[in-house]
Amino acid sequence: MSNPIISIEKLKIETRNGSYPLVNNVSLEIKKGEIAGLIGESGSGKSLTARAVMGLLPVNMKNSGRIVYKNSDLSALSPKDHRKFLGKEIGIIFQDYRASFTPYIKIGKQITETIRTHYPIGKKEARNQALEVLGKMGLDSERVYCSYPFQLSGGQVQRASIAMVLALKPALVICDEMTTALDVMNGEKVLNYLEEVRKETGCAILMITHDLALAYKRTDRIYVMQQGEIVEEGLPEQIRCQHQHPYTKKLCACLLSLPGENFIINERVNDL
Amino acid sequence: MSLVVEGLSKNYSKNLVALNTISFSAKKGECIGIVGESGSGKSTLGKVLVGLENYKEGTITYNGAPVVPTKRSRLREYRKNVQMIFQDSSSSLNPKLPVWESVLEPLDNFKECSPAFLEGQNLSRKETAEQLLIMVGLDKELAGRYPEELSGGQKQRVSIARALSIEPSLLICDEPTASLDVTVQVQILNLLKDFQKKMDMTILFISHDIRAVTFLCEQIIVLKNGTIQDQFGINELYHKSRHPYTKALIEAASIQ
Repeated sequence: MSNPIISIEKLKIETRNGSYPLVNNVSLEIKKGEIAGLIGESGSGKSLTARAVMGLLPVNMKNSGRIVYKNSDLSALSPKDHRKFLGKEIGIIFQDYRASFTPYIKIGKQITETIRTHYPIGKKEARNQALEVLGKMGLDSERVYCSYPFQLSGGQVQRASIAMVLALKPALVICDEMTTALDVMNGEKVLNYLEEVRKETGCAILMITHDLALAYKRTDRIYVMQQGEIVEEGLPEQIRCQHQHPYTKKLCACLLSLPGENFIINERVNDL
Repeated sequence: MSLVVEGLSKNYSKNLVALNTISFSAKKGECIGIVGESGSGKSTLGKVLVGLENYKEGTITYNGAPVVPTKRSRLREYRKNVQMIFQDSSSSLNPKLPVWESVLEPLDNFKECSPAFLEGQNLSRKETAEQLLIMVGLDKELAGRYPEELSGGQKQRVSIARALSIEPSLLICDEPTASLDVTVQVQILNLLKDFQKKMDMTILFISHDIRAVTFLCEQIIVLKNGTIQDQFGINELYHKSRHPYTKALIEAASIQ
């Protein structure tokens, strides 16, 4: 439990022509079974950090610093070796669901193919696994299995792509704004399933989001990012009620309160 | 102003009922939130009310006169008082026009309108547009720019300036903050709230963000599969007779 699944040390991402750094001095670590939240506005470098871990940075950017995944330094690996970690070890769920599937191959075929690339199992077994994960996402599994991506709604495609990632049982799941495209009910369903998977396989999760309520409720530790740097980190309660940095304060003040929730704000005022 | 909707139904095809006997009414200065999951008919309702979609059954009455989307002349009278703000601000502004020309479109269409902020001033067209941009908290330098040169939040402010330019008595907002950052969301909502108070407008706020809805509205309508499931005032939000969908929304949004 004590050894982190992934630890990022002093990550710095800059463009190749060497202007100012886009991400600077970012350090974070996630232990087994932990959910870390990375919050911040758009353009703060949240997604770039995730892409550096995946080795999927745009060609005109380079990273320095260390990204240690289970004792191996990912940033020192060649792109080819780095790729071997993707999928089975590190899974990523993107915000843009339209790019997750090839449009002219049925979803079921794409999921079974993905499973069989990483695990040596037969077609039938892979099919059963695929149907199972699709069902767990609250989808009509038989129908989705035989559908092309364009025959489904956006929310359904997003859930199918999440099912595909989780079917491989990765040790680290990176969720890049995964519920933004879903409506509240489906978002909850997907998050509950993610929670279930985490309990079952003990995977670590990096949750990139700008939904503060989600971060408060679902994560074990929150990192606040502003303009490429982590300005504050702590337990969700600390970030919510005892934040120190002015930017965190500004961000937290933006969470509108539900009626009857005002006592939290009063508490916050007392703390300041 | 008063808006009364009675027994409104709309089908897209034989099998797809988008709206099923919707009835509600809105008084002057009221804020009504319309929530529901995707596919529940929220956006269709907005489009029908603004006259972008036709309807077959039911009636929409505005200030005692029925709104008939097929009669262009009557619709024009109605549309002068109703404006809409869409979720996707980048597709609601014409990419080929500089911002100030987009902002002036409603005023050009309804030349008979003379909004209060223009009274007694002899402004050129561009100056009028700049005034409108300043009104929504934008720099007047932005007037000459094109939509692609603005951020999402700025574009949404431009859409608001455009909608408010003819001082509508009814404003329909279809998820105006859904694609924006949290900090920008709050700014936009505050802006809407300020104008609502100042102009005493009626706002129909379509959203699935219960926090935003409770911030702005006093009345909430819950839609599901095209029917109204629940309708209540904001102080009854936690009442135990609330529809399960409302409860689930609150559950999902709460942080306790």
